Amino acid sequence: MPGRHSRRSVLAAITALPLTGALSACSGNGSASTGSGSGETSGTKGRTTITFWSALRGSQEVVDAFNATHDHIRVDFEQIPAGGQGGYLKLSNAARAGNAPDVATIEYPQLPGFVIDGVVRDITALVGDELRAKLLPQSLDQTTFDGRTYSVPLDVEPMVLHYREDLFDEFGLDVPTTWDEFAEVARAVRRTGAGRRITVFPTDGMTLMAALCWQAGAQWFDISRGAWNVSMADAPTRTVAAYWQRLIDEDLVHCNATGSRLYDAQVGNGLILTRLSGAWEAGAQMNAHPEQKGTWRIAPLPQWDSARPALGMHGGSTFAVTKDSRHPEAAMEFIAWQVSHPDALKARLSSGTSSMYPAATGLVPVGRAAFDRTYYGGQDIYGLFEQEARKISDGWVWGPRMTATGYIMQDAFARAGAGSGTLLSAMRDAQAGTMPDLKALGLATTQHST
Amino acid sequence: MTATTHAAPPRTAPPRAADAVRRAAQRSARRRRNAAAGVLMTPFFLLLVLVFLVPLGTAVWLSLFSADEPGLGFGPERTVFVGLRSYAAVLTDPTFLSGIGTVALYCVIYIPLMVLGSLALALLLDSGVVRMRSWAQLGLFLPHAVPGIIAALIWLYLYTPGISPVVAALAKADITVDFLGLHTTLPSIVNIALWSNLGYNMVVFYAALQAIPREVLEASVVDGAGPVRTAVRVKAPLVRSSIVMVAMFTLIWALQLFTEPMLLHQASPMVSTRFSPSMYIYDAAFSRTNYSLAAAASVILLVVTIAVSYAVTRWTNRVDSAKETAR
Repeated sequence: MPGRHSRRSVLAAITALPLTGALSACSGNGSASTGSGSGETSGTKGRTTITFWSALRGSQEVVDAFNATHDHIRVDFEQIPAGGQGGYLKLSNAARAGNAPDVATIEYPQLPGFVIDGVVRDITALVGDELRAKLLPQSLDQTTFDGRTYSVPLDVEPMVLHYREDLFDEFGLDVPTTWDEFAEVARAVRRTGAGRRITVFPTDGMTLMAALCWQAGAQWFDISRGAWNVSMADAPTRTVAAYWQRLIDEDLVHCNATGSRLYDAQVGNGLILTRLSGAWEAGAQMNAHPEQKGTWRIAPLPQWDSARPALGMHGGSTFAVTKDSRHPEAAMEFIAWQVSHPDALKARLSSGTSSMYPAATGLVPVGRAAFDRTYYGGQDIYGLFEQEARKISDGWVWGPRMTATGYIMQDAFARAGAGSGTLLSAMRDAQAGTMPDLKALGLATTQHST
Repeated sequence: MTATTHAAPPRTAPPRAADAVRRAAQRSARRRRNAAAGVLMTPFFLLLVLVFLVPLGTAVWLSLFSADEPGLGFGPERTVFVGLRSYAAVLTDPTFLSGIGTVALYCVIYIPLMVLGSLALALLLDSGVVRMRSWAQLGLFLPHAVPGIIAALIWLYLYTPGISPVVAALAKADITVDFLGLHTTLPSIVNIALWSNLGYNMVVFYAALQAIPREVLEASVVDGAGPVRTAVRVKAPLVRSSIVMVAMFTLIWALQLFTEPMLLHQASPMVSTRFSPSMYIYDAAFSRTNYSLAAAASVILLVVTIAVSYAVTRWTNRVDSAKETAR
């Protein structure tokens, strides 16, 4: 059934290509319907125009590079606000009004919500085997639900440990490889005084908590049995929550928001010695703190069990074709180029300091070559990311209303940081506040409250 | 009237004709009156329908339907009648119920402060203690002319540590206050609302106090009541209906608490995205894009507001009539 449908849409799209190309050129001149515009449109005849929305930096450069090398497709790019700042609302509203762009950028946690709302299109049949083979399986696993693929991953972000090598040397500390060692180092860092801590537990860090729990083997949402089973306080999550609660209670970590001036000061003044985050953050750090050049290095994230290493993902984006797209094939061609062509990655990295780790693993040498290593003292961070990306466990599923779930969790984290409640009670609050949402959406749900 | 000018002879017919004429005149007068009433009331009903009944109907409609997909929700959507499912979801949502609790606590703190504060100010102005009465009145009323969002912005500036001169001044005096902390956000919001609305309600009370007959006040003075006694025992009971009205409007306004927490939410994680029922509705519609849930929560908030207002009216009426009979 889906196969037949898509074949028909392929045909429709192919026959529509020249026609709609001319139409859009006409309407651009404001002289629709009549054939008088044929003289003017001859230059763009057969060229399909697709629209593309993204909040990712460097997208304009990628689009320019695409338009310069492609004659039959033209991409109209619009920079939109980041998801949380209104970008996702803009996309939802556009889809409701029936004029969503052909290609939209959606982060992993929000993808299931847009699939359920029918904003994005089932592109199972459009993603060719060639493209599939290029992508890291764990990343494609994140955009495939119930056997159907809904978007194409751009980057994969294994969570890593960024640390201040100079301060670790100064205080004679070893880089921790397990969480037990991490707690030991945390105590040692606190003993050095001056308000230094090993890291910050981010009260605005739903995605960080998710990545930590993902690593420990948690499964907040499970769809393997035909219903959304919600279990946000399962055994691995309880382990992670108890571990960080102890660090907070013993005053071994700072506990505040990372999207704050306070956090910038903590990093800038060397009050925190490590940051836990996805690969992308290496570039963000270079932008935010150029004065700390040479002091940071990156190491694998500590493990619960060194014998069986596992990792969660922190951040990352995907490209989806919307249901409103009239040129899904053209949209897909643009997406495929964007995620897998070396020129696309070069263009993106040329925009500034990015350390995105591509989901198309064949591009890693391109990223490695394009990335300026001096900030990290010559360390081959792409080599590290490559080794870490393989540890990402598959099977993690984000919830249908992840932004809202995250808000509840983060509000409760902030209260826990102020001494009211715990990280574990925050997880239970998040689950309790999520269930009514899912029920009101008409989804089949079960829950596991332990 | 015309019947008297006609002569006597036809005895029975003229009165009937006169009656008919009179009745016709009455009828046309009534019709004209009805037409006038109709014309004058049309704008009201038009607006009532347009800005109240139609949105209400839409909300009820939205709350009873939903775009559903069976199972995991990845299939095609179709709009189905879901009955009271969204209402059940709202009423079992701990975040909505905690929002109701927050607003209830807000009402308990805010309404007495508001009513007593504005009444006290009005009595002070009315007593003649205050010099330059009209200037004082203007000064107190001015904050009400500031739009709520601007007021919240001003206070946000005064509350935020690091930029607030107030926090800095207090810090110099070795007093550390976090206006946006775990237990201080609600009082901070009450403070903004008081600042905005105290002057307005004071004007309402002041106008009511002006309408008290001077003889009554003179009589109380003759009977030996001092200014405080006059204010508390004579003036205040005489403006009871204004007090009830102000309390009622304040209550209805307080139940819809939105602007202030919405803005403070930007600055403090202690003000959650679902702090009050109105914020819950906003979040349901524009962050969770769950319109039937938002509609159901709106209808529930409306019903609660109507029920509470009705209960207050009934209660004050009963108290009034009890007092009447006691007298």
